[in-house]
Amino acid sequence: MDFGSLLHTISSITPDRPWGIDIPNYFWFTGSSAAAFIISSFAHVFGMKEYKPIAGFSLLLAFVLLVAAPMNLIDDLRQPGRIINFFFYGWENFPTSPMKWGVLLLMAYPLLILAEAIVLYRPYFTMKKGVVYTKEQEEKDHRLGVLLGAIGIPLALSVHGYTGYILGAVHAIPLFHTPIMPILFLASAMVSGTGLLIILLPIFQKFFTDFKRIDYAMMQRLARLLAWFIVIDLVIRFFWLTFAITFNNEEKYALKLFFGENFWEVLIVDYVICLFVPMAIGFIRFFSRSLKWVLFAGVLSAIGVWIFRWNTVIGGQSIGKTTPFLLEYHPHVFGFDSILSVVSNWSLLIALIAAIMALFPWDKEMANYYTKEQ
Amino acid sequence: MPSKSRREFVKKATGFIGVSTLASTHAHALSLTNPGRDAKDARYVGQEGKRFGMVIDLRKCVGCQACTSACKSENKVPKEKFRTYVPEYELGSYPNVRKAFLPQLCNHCAEPSCVSVCPTGATFARKDGIVVVDNEICWGCGYCINACPYDKRYFNPISNVADKCTLCAHRVDHGLLPACVESCVGGARVFGDLNDPASHASRLLATFPATVLKPASGTKPRVFYIALSGEIQSLPYSNGILDDAVRKREGALHKEWSSKGE
Repeated sequence: MDFGSLLHTISSITPDRPWGIDIPNYFWFTGSSAAAFIISSFAHVFGMKEYKPIAGFSLLLAFVLLVAAPMNLIDDLRQPGRIINFFFYGWENFPTSPMKWGVLLLMAYPLLILAEAIVLYRPYFTMKKGVVYTKEQEEKDHRLGVLLGAIGIPLALSVHGYTGYILGAVHAIPLFHTPIMPILFLASAMVSGTGLLIILLPIFQKFFTDFKRIDYAMMQRLARLLAWFIVIDLVIRFFWLTFAITFNNEEKYALKLFFGENFWEVLIVDYVICLFVPMAIGFIRFFSRSLKWVLFAGVLSAIGVWIFRWNTVIGGQSIGKTTPFLLEYHPHVFGFDSILSVVSNWSLLIALIAAIMALFPWDKEMANYYTKEQ
Repeated sequence: MPSKSRREFVKKATGFIGVSTLASTHAHALSLTNPGRDAKDARYVGQEGKRFGMVIDLRKCVGCQACTSACKSENKVPKEKFRTYVPEYELGSYPNVRKAFLPQLCNHCAEPSCVSVCPTGATFARKDGIVVVDNEICWGCGYCINACPYDKRYFNPISNVADKCTLCAHRVDHGLLPACVESCVGGARVFGDLNDPASHASRLLATFPATVLKPASGTKPRVFYIALSGEIQSLPYSNGILDDAVRKREGALHKEWSSKGE
């Protein structure tokens, strides 16, 4: 009902909002992990040969991202010492609490990726030990790899899709409350994951392999893939926003208020700069042939999806439920759920990437494809 | 063969460890609910057969905030947190204006959206409908705080977990009234058993048309309002106002989450 202007005079109570900067960062990590896994499955499960050289690398990347991601959640808890309570109690809420599903997925998924990576790299490990790797064994491992990959795809989709569920289930927050949220999150995840791969692949190929050569054709292919993922993302966002803002019930007033106030951040920064520009780079051959432009597109899209996660998680919570107008969020610099937490999480990610890439012979495997070509 | 026997050993050892772990865990270790409910602790079960709720007769509310302060002192609610409060509204436009007061507290919903999302079972509805939080189980993820459409949950900075109005269950279980009801000078707040047709609350509901806040959220609140203006029933979204500017001057913006001033 709208009777015109309305004034709240004594309502100077700031309601609590639980989720801070850790949560968008967590969503970005799981999303990018799911995307890296799907890209590795292009070769492992769907047999797309052109993605073979990066399949192992992106599988390891998926693993590392997913090991680092849950740290954000633990840091966001007010009582992180009570994690065990999650496993012991509250199972009657399993059907209605997506958070309950999530923790199980967060445990199963990295184990599966690790198993797949071990199977994939077994020939190299056995070679090191001096054990002969038979043809029979190779075929067996290949079948096992395909099977694990095939189980992994729905698991990867779930591990990120459930995060969309977590938000979508919150009917108290108009920006979260849409059944399209899991799909929207998956689509934007594919964008950030491809972006991250575009950033990391040339660095690793150039500096940490024996062949020390960047695969330019692969970079162009990834740029094009990124552009297509952006198209899918934009189409889903188009459906989301047109229905949510135009044809919605009273939630549309909150969304109009939100998007009106954050017009610059959402439309110009997120959509135009961080989605349209990388899409154009991916589709226009002049740009996608240039490594610099492709890297630029990768960086933009990875940042853009982070901003989208931020706009959704923080922006959604900024909408007042009982108070007028919007709330404002200022992350702490130190302590739990702070800017420093996110910086530490990224440092952990980098350390884990270094450790995993040192342990697994991804460079030997990758070199196979390039030496064969020559 | 040594490798085979080693494999056997690993198999047996894993089996043994697995079985003994399961056997050694306490019977209450894996629970659908939480230990307090499993133990049928009276504080967790509540008063079976009753359904507590509140009727707020807005015709009698004068906006004195006695309930706000009584609640704060009774429940030792930390600074800047509130379990109940009375926002004041100015309705209409000059010269046809009037004030409205809207006492708010946890609605102790019949379909509480905060309970269904709780991943630890720390928050639950007692058998008498009072929604409470076990502050020794809650791990402080904040899902319930976001899930509540009424902004009636907060993080207690002392216990570091979710906290909320308990309808003064500790008083109610001893036959007393909630502090906010006891202190209401106008008699606007009426507490009672909604299952008992003779209770004051039930009689009010039978006599006057009553409604709830944000009925569209589907949570079936058990706090009813008499003479609630349609203008504020859904707690509508509104633009920034002068009051926010005052808050900005008072430095509220330095907090992690704060109202956005114009």
